[in-house]
Amino acid sequence: MRLLIELVVSFASTIGFGIITNIPKRTLLPAGITGSLAWVVYVVVAGQTPNMILPNLLAATTIGLLANVAAIWVKAPVNVMYIPSLVSLVPGAIIYMSMKNFTLGRETAAQAGLVKTLSIAIGLAVGFVIAEAIFKPIRRPLRHWFEARR
Amino acid sequence: MPSEKQVIALCGRVGKILLENGAETGRVESTVEYIGAAAGVPISCHAEMTAIFVDADTDTATHLIKVRTKDFNLRQVDRINSLSRAFTSGTIDYATLESRLTTIESSRRDYSWPQKILGAGLVSVAPMLVFQATWADLGLAFFVGIGGYLASQWLGRRTTTPYISIGLGGMVIGLLATLLQRLGVATSADNIIISALMPLVPGVAITNSLRELIARHTISGLVRAMDAIMVAGAIGAGVVVGSACVSLLLGGAL
Repeated sequence: MRLLIELVVSFASTIGFGIITNIPKRTLLPAGITGSLAWVVYVVVAGQTPNMILPNLLAATTIGLLANVAAIWVKAPVNVMYIPSLVSLVPGAIIYMSMKNFTLGRETAAQAGLVKTLSIAIGLAVGFVIAEAIFKPIRRPLRHWFEARR
Repeated sequence: MPSEKQVIALCGRVGKILLENGAETGRVESTVEYIGAAAGVPISCHAEMTAIFVDADTDTATHLIKVRTKDFNLRQVDRINSLSRAFTSGTIDYATLESRLTTIESSRRDYSWPQKILGAGLVSVAPMLVFQATWADLGLAFFVGIGGYLASQWLGRRTTTPYISIGLGGMVIGLLATLLQRLGVATSADNIIISALMPLVPGVAITNSLRELIARHTISGLVRAMDAIMVAGAIGAGVVVGSACVSLLLGGAL
């Protein structure tokens, strides 16, 4: 039940960000599916470990794989899927909290926030690298497979 | 056949649209080079966040296009992508490519305002907070987020000063959220603020920054990362000013 709510909310939020950044209509659905599944991966993994990096890493890997498949499927640039799917994972809230602490003169909290942002960003980046590495050898066969079915 | 100069100029226009609307530099370079090769002119392209260089390998002439990134519009990237696919696969000829490119440059397809407002509202309910904030707060965040988004869009169309429109968005959100808490409608202003900031958060910049760094386009990656930090700073400052205004008006601690 809890996961279902998370799935629906993150789906809506991915679609919403897709509309704001103006992605083509045919890519809204694949982007929404990618974003919501990645968020569920994040929630499940984050429930198992106190580690900040691992959930972000696995969620980014999920996005990387699904977005690449979707990009071939609907014939669109990968970035069009990546950007809306990442909206729930991108450490925007933490950057904001840290900048707020900065403006209020709480330097220690501000620095902690920036380091946290950096570690999440590293987690996401490593996840993407893993996804790209896995996807590279299967891109061409997958494209042929989709073309043959069309 | 088009002359070398014409192909270089056209490739420059393609690159400019891609970079301005949020494509990564690697994609800009490869798309431009594919189009050049398909048009019969071997082209080298070097894209950086602020400029694109297009050079025909057979000639000494180099074309430099200045780019200033502003509003992202991923649909333009997609349209150029489809166009270049059609051209490189031989479905359309050079003249069609040129005329379609002009169409893409002059017409920006967009979602309607009601759709965008709904989108901003949906983003404003952050999944991060679903089981931390109360449902009432998330419901309020839906509307506060729309307010912040509209404020930043409104100012963004009226000024060229960077970062100020996003700061105004943050300010409106801080103002509304603190006001709602003071009036006793909302439980936690902080939760509403974090949730409602989602449409303004520099998601495109952070995503692209990561992808550029991974692809070893280090300079572009750092430029985008710094831009993201500046945007976050503008939002943070805006929110603090907004909350402070409410505190000044209604009294109480800042």
